[in-house]
Amino acid sequence: MSRMGFEVELDALGTPQVFEQPEAHRVLVTGASGILGQGVARALLASGSEVVTLQRRPSGVEGAEDVRGSVADPEAVARAMDGVDTVVHVAAKVSVSGREEEFELVNVAGTQYVVEAARDAGVSRMVHISSPSVAHAGSSIVGEGAGPADPAAARGPYARTKAAGELIALSADSPSFHVLALRPHLMWGPGDMQLTDRIVQRARAGRMPVLGSGAALVDTLYTWNAVEAVLAAVTAADHTHGESLVVTNGEPRPVGELITRIAMAGGAAPPRLRLPAGVARRAGALVERAWERNLFGMRRATADGEPPLTEFLAEQLSTSHWFDQRRTREVLDWRPRVSIDEGLERVAEHYAER
Amino acid sequence: MSIPAAAATIPPIDRMPGWDPQWSRLLTVQSPADPAGTVRTFHIADTGPALAAMGVEVHGTILAVHGNPTWSYLWRSLMRATVDQARAGGTAWRMIAPDQLDMGFSERLPHAQMPRPETMGTADSDYRGLAARLDDLTAITDALELPGLVAAGHRLVTIGHDWGGVVSLGWAGRHAELLSGVMTLNTAVHQPEGAPIPVPLQAALAGPLLANSTVATDAFVSVTTSLASPQLSRAVRAAYHLPYTSADRRGGVGGFVADIPATADHGSHPALQEVSAGVSALGAADVPALILWGADDPVFLDRYLDDLRDRLPAARVHRYEEAGHLLVEDRDLTGPVLTWLELLDTGMLSSPGSGLPVSLPEPELRYEAHPSTTSLHLEDLESHVSAGEEDDDGTAPSGQDVPAAPAQPASSSSGRRRLWDQLEEWGAPEAYNRDATALVDMTGAASSRAIVRRKRRPVAVSWGELQEMVSAIATGLWAAGVRPGDRVSMLVPPGRDLTAALYAVLRLGAVAVVADQGLGIKGMTRAMKSARPKWIIGQTPGLTLARAQSWPGTRFSVATLGAAQRSLLNVEDSLYAMVERHRDPHRVGPVDEQGQMLPVPEEHQEAAVLFTSGSTGPAKGVVYTHGRLGHLVRRIRRTLGIEPGSSLLAGFAPFALLGPALGATSVSPDMDVTKPATLTARGLAEAAEAGQSTVLFASPAALRNVVATADELDEAGHAVLDRIRLVLSAGAPVPPSLMRQVTALVPNAQVHSPYGMTEGLLLTDIDADTVQELVHAKDAGVCVGTPIETVEVAIAPLLEDGSAEEVILDRESGWGVLGEVVVSAPHLKERYDALWYTDQQSKRDSLFGGGGRVWHRTNDVGHVDAEGRLWIEGRLQHVVSTPHGPVAPVGPEAAIDALGPVDRCAVVGVGPAGTQALVVCVEAAKPATRPEKRAGHLRDGRPKPGLAPAELATQVRAAVAPLAVSAVLVTEAIPTDIRHNSKIDRARMARWAEHVLAGGKVGHP
Repeated sequence: MSRMGFEVELDALGTPQVFEQPEAHRVLVTGASGILGQGVARALLASGSEVVTLQRRPSGVEGAEDVRGSVADPEAVARAMDGVDTVVHVAAKVSVSGREEEFELVNVAGTQYVVEAARDAGVSRMVHISSPSVAHAGSSIVGEGAGPADPAAARGPYARTKAAGELIALSADSPSFHVLALRPHLMWGPGDMQLTDRIVQRARAGRMPVLGSGAALVDTLYTWNAVEAVLAAVTAADHTHGESLVVTNGEPRPVGELITRIAMAGGAAPPRLRLPAGVARRAGALVERAWERNLFGMRRATADGEPPLTEFLAEQLSTSHWFDQRRTREVLDWRPRVSIDEGLERVAEHYAER
Repeated sequence: MSIPAAAATIPPIDRMPGWDPQWSRLLTVQSPADPAGTVRTFHIADTGPALAAMGVEVHGTILAVHGNPTWSYLWRSLMRATVDQARAGGTAWRMIAPDQLDMGFSERLPHAQMPRPETMGTADSDYRGLAARLDDLTAITDALELPGLVAAGHRLVTIGHDWGGVVSLGWAGRHAELLSGVMTLNTAVHQPEGAPIPVPLQAALAGPLLANSTVATDAFVSVTTSLASPQLSRAVRAAYHLPYTSADRRGGVGGFVADIPATADHGSHPALQEVSAGVSALGAADVPALILWGADDPVFLDRYLDDLRDRLPAARVHRYEEAGHLLVEDRDLTGPVLTWLELLDTGMLSSPGSGLPVSLPEPELRYEAHPSTTSLHLEDLESHVSAGEEDDDGTAPSGQDVPAAPAQPASSSSGRRRLWDQLEEWGAPEAYNRDATALVDMTGAASSRAIVRRKRRPVAVSWGELQEMVSAIATGLWAAGVRPGDRVSMLVPPGRDLTAALYAVLRLGAVAVVADQGLGIKGMTRAMKSARPKWIIGQTPGLTLARAQSWPGTRFSVATLGAAQRSLLNVEDSLYAMVERHRDPHRVGPVDEQGQMLPVPEEHQEAAVLFTSGSTGPAKGVVYTHGRLGHLVRRIRRTLGIEPGSSLLAGFAPFALLGPALGATSVSPDMDVTKPATLTARGLAEAAEAGQSTVLFASPAALRNVVATADELDEAGHAVLDRIRLVLSAGAPVPPSLMRQVTALVPNAQVHSPYGMTEGLLLTDIDADTVQELVHAKDAGVCVGTPIETVEVAIAPLLEDGSAEEVILDRESGWGVLGEVVVSAPHLKERYDALWYTDQQSKRDSLFGGGGRVWHRTNDVGHVDAEGRLWIEGRLQHVVSTPHGPVAPVGPEAAIDALGPVDRCAVVGVGPAGTQALVVCVEAAKPATRPEKRAGHLRDGRPKPGLAPAELATQVRAAVAPLAVSAVLVTEAIPTDIRHNSKIDRARMARWAEHVLAGGKVGHP
């Protein structure tokens, strides 16, 4: 399903310039069963690199050497690192709810294992995939750059553990081991199950709310642009490292407009459900607590195994989150090639073909 | 209560935001104020060590003295800026800022009791008085060996604030030989006899209250630190309080208050007199001076600024209208101070004025007029320009044979025509044109008796009568004490009386201050306080306002008032009485008491201060010299073709006054010039009939109303309008549709729309044909045509952050580049009044070819098209600085306004400069037919305020593609200015958009 999305991309855009690495690499991509990891693995292969993947399920990437296992298993990580010169560390526990220990294990310990194994194996560069939520505590973000990761201020277990993970990765940066952290913000696109498909499915069921006025300005990132940004980062890490870059399409849009257009691209009617932002945030907090204890058998209530609303999500959807992209574009020498409008067309084609 | 002695200490630097530990040191000196053998220790802020550590060579020292109850912490931003400048390789200025004794972290003297005004400055007090503080400062500068450094070529300037202004200027007076210049912020060096001291100090000085409010409690300190606007941050305010945490630490605060020499018998009065005399001597010696003044200060009122300006006549003055006592906290003063220091070093401060050449030669280089502007007056251009007679208007207007008038007063040295020459020529006894009409006032002039007029009767005045009035009023004003250079506020509505008064003031060499009543009472009051006229000429409403608002100036009424009213309004004399007393049909020009002709003012002398409309912040006073107004009159004659013998019907304030200078009959229609839409078609026709008008000058708003009331006109009315050959409309762009309507109504006239502003009244011009031609042009913005003769237009390209570059491009090399419009012409403003730094920033003095041209930054942004035409795209502060480059709002707004569902819109930016998101705020149009009730829509069919519906957002995006619009928001009403109902308040829209897009409640802008 997700493969189809990228086939469209590769057909439409051809192999981009950034894929032509100066030397043949052997690259480990962790978490290659997810949409970003899989896209990166495929793009690397297309550009002539050797690709090793590490994840529990088969990566589904033809031509890649799959190592099955978790990043939380040091032995599996060491095995995957054999002969590798570049690591793209995508694997993470991504969720808006869940038990703290699970996040700790994957996002903090897992990153620690990857970094250690990479250094032991003489890997020369690592692109660490992080999240903008590591540096921001709930309030709105208006055109800011990437601030330092701050686990103490981050909201929720995901952001907290990703912040700790980023600090581990960046503190390992050295002249012989270049680490560059990317923070893609709100990825969407054909085949994306985390955000795009959820909006579509919930809107189809009439359960997708728009919070507040829906005017909160948010940055997003079309998945294929994210893939290209990661490959650009592999190249850029040779000259710039030890810092974090937020990556977005650079087209901030009102969140209500985006949700409406994604829903419509997926064949759903525009969401009509409106919730005042404050109510949604309080409701989200309640739902979150109920979810954690599985009160009222809540966990059976949603198809995707995620709570219908969390405080964190409510906040994300009702305050502005957009970023200054100048430093990112300067360092990566990269521009998003798929605009939001073009991306929405691809999403529409994707759902039409299903 | 007694206060114990305490040693000087280094302050707690970790609690002083913005402070560098390297700056603090202690210095022990023997002050002449103390007996031999007694030494005192001062805390001194000194950037010397920091500069030495950087290894830079120090160029000069700024000696900075704080007031009461601040301390050297006051100067931290200037210290930071001077160090930064040195670090960046610029001129290295060292700052030395002592804490005065008993203040800041300097030594605390023992005091047997609380300070009392009665004993201050005498041997009976153990508190430091002014004389002792001057001695202390001398001891410090000696200990730091400043005299020796100066002898070795080091520069030395002082700066002070509050009491520190007095001490620093007093020190400067004593050491004039060491000085390169003086700067001061709000202070006072003289308390006039009999004038009350400022109210807040009266309270503090009142008997037992003094010790209580200043020493026993920290009320005085708290009140002072609360005066900052915007409020100080908590940490900075706390830092100001650090030295004054207990009564033992606050003796000096009370001592300073007690030392205010409120009366002549105060012990420090002689010392203050020494200081004020010293300042006057500095002024007489032409020592460069800079005065930066927060106008909103309850203690240092404008009269203290006036006193300083009188003592330091060549001082550069910047009066910050909306800042107060703690000016250095309210505004960033590093720019003005560093700029002034730079000019000091280049020697550009030794002449009065702006730091740039005072008068401009008529430029050699002449703009080759574009055909579209020359078509109208080709003959004029040929006869005048090609013959190279630019400076010589000739005694005879072309095509007319006018005999030279007798009894001409001496003309100015340049031989150029002066503003009153035509009037004195045609108004002279025996002049052939003496009985021709100079002026028609459709409003009727003020009656000398208080009679309510039932019907307004037009008043016609001949050249002879007008000349006699002007000469008589000027003679009367002289007799009343008005002297060349004195400012005279004109609170008279346009018409005969204003014209007569204005030309009298100009001829006398006094300076007319003109503030449009459209500014409102608050704006007018601000204007009057900043321009500080010495005299006011007003009609009863203006004089009543002047009294109610305590405007400065001795009053003259227009009509002669009854005794009661005279006394109530404090009126000295009336213009009508002057005319009665001094009218002499045998004389041309004003005379003094001995009957000697008064001299003619020089071209470089100030003629007028005109206030801007104040649509962006407080109105600014714009100074014109006689020479510059003369150039303006020449441009109107030559370029607009308003020659002597024309008849000018002017419904537009600044131009209504120029008739006599042009030799044109001027007609003021019956309308309120501050409300242009009060001009009706019938009023226009009546005025045109009465004045046999050939030229009409009116704002677009006035023309719109004329067109709207055209049905009133009968056949005779139309016949009158048929005689008009030229219509000029300025003040705002004239839309093509209005141009067409005006052309239909005034069929034999060419319709032109000149572009200008208070700082340059006539810059470019476009005619109706060109406007129609360009209706479908692809250029963004409003086309204002090509520069008129002698005007140069250049473009300062915009930088990524939306500001304008220092480099400017001429029209050819700047083709198509979006930038700030920069202009140069002999008839531009001389400078801004009491806004020295704004003036500095508004000027650019270098460009292609150099040649001493002075360039004025208009603050408008736009571009030049391939034909050399200028297009205006908005104001500089409204430019949106997106990551893809700067975007000016007017072009995209026009494209969006053209959409059916949009009534009007505002294009604004949100987010940090250089990476702003482009946002469109839309006021939606009501659908023609009331639609079904729809979700997300109001009853009238318009979308609800908030995020625009998808289809509207898509339409808006398509209209401005390829610009990337981040969001389209809908609001019920976009705020506009009250006056024109057309200028969009984009700043307010941007604040609203930022709030909504951050997730805030939608509400109203």
